[in-house]
Amino acid sequence: MSLAQIFQEHPERRYIMFGGKGGLGKTTFSAATAYWLAQQGYKVLVFSVDPQASLSDIFQQDIFGKGAVEIVPNLYAQEIDADRHIREYQDTIRKKILDMYGLEKVPDEIEDYIQAAAAEPAMEESAIFDQVVDIVVGGEYDYYIYDLVPLGHALYYLSMASVYDQWIQKITKLREEMEDYAQVAALMRRDEELEEDKILAELQDIRYRISTSSSILTDREKTAFFFVVVPEEMILVDTQKAAGLFAKFQVPVSGYIVNRVIPPELEHQDIPEYLRHRIQMQKKYLAEIDRLFSGAVLARIPEFERDVTGLDMIRKMAEAMFGGAA
Amino acid sequence: MATKKGKVLDTVKSILYGMAGHDMARFALKTRGSMEHLFILITMGDLLGIPILPPYYSLRLLPYVVPQISTWKRRMLRERDLTDALA
Repeated sequence: MSLAQIFQEHPERRYIMFGGKGGLGKTTFSAATAYWLAQQGYKVLVFSVDPQASLSDIFQQDIFGKGAVEIVPNLYAQEIDADRHIREYQDTIRKKILDMYGLEKVPDEIEDYIQAAAAEPAMEESAIFDQVVDIVVGGEYDYYIYDLVPLGHALYYLSMASVYDQWIQKITKLREEMEDYAQVAALMRRDEELEEDKILAELQDIRYRISTSSSILTDREKTAFFFVVVPEEMILVDTQKAAGLFAKFQVPVSGYIVNRVIPPELEHQDIPEYLRHRIQMQKKYLAEIDRLFSGAVLARIPEFERDVTGLDMIRKMAEAMFGGAA
Repeated sequence: MATKKGKVLDTVKSILYGMAGHDMARFALKTRGSMEHLFILITMGDLLGIPILPPYYSLRLLPYVVPQISTWKRRMLRERDLTDALA
């Protein structure tokens, strides 16, 4: 099975993710896949959920925090500016407080809290996570390509979703119980109808957002997750561990792509001993990869002679990934 | 005549409420008040230095609990003694 076949046979898989350790080529593959799909006439959005995003670098165009930017026809790229999103979010909260209570200034105690909360380490991840919902729920594109954060973070992202979901479930329940008591009291005192609990409505909305975002990550029908590996021992060990964890979170892994394979035909040329050793080492691990992930290795991408940045190189990469038949 | 009858009925209802319902209503409100404080503790624990869970979403709830925050803090940080059990 080739990578192109996966896309052709499963057009319903609209959420595409590449995961793997840092620096293995996730962003490159995301960009090249987006490019290939756009060439086929699909409207594609590739977006980054990494606070240290590199889509700008690969497309050689500053797109950070600018929303979805059209790179070539049908191909849009977006880098989320988490800091700005957090600042805007804080402002919305402040404004809401001022409007609700007709205040001139947010009380000091509350202002301190708003500022302290933004400094929490989880804030950035949560902000990105939350924005992804807006992007994906929009439904304007045929394909959404997530340029994922390195593995550890991706797992954190997933576990965060399930923790959040449980947390929200619990407090929603508490809130509902509170509502019951308020109703009993109102009934006894023959009060007019109770004001609707706005907090409960907010909680339900938060829960909807979290479950939308995390259900996409684990949707077997609509999501394709590809692991990026390179033929090196450490990477293989880590990838196996990660694959196990992903399975635990029920992420549907569609296959593995091997990157940075030194072209084997070089071996028959006059090459230095150093390169010959590397080729032999890779051979060993390529065999290991075929054994470990048998039947699920979709492509072997050669090590290119130069960096993959700019549209020309992205096109070359797309050809290497999907074959010339575009 | 009808209004007089209505007034009598209202008075009877109020007396009955006072005899039977008032305590229950008071209890329900008191329980709800405690739960409200528990709720704020879970969502805004950071205010007391107890980070309980995600600040991103607790900020969204913050505007609704602004008026309760000072009473909640007072209640949480207050010293307690035996007479609390009788209240």
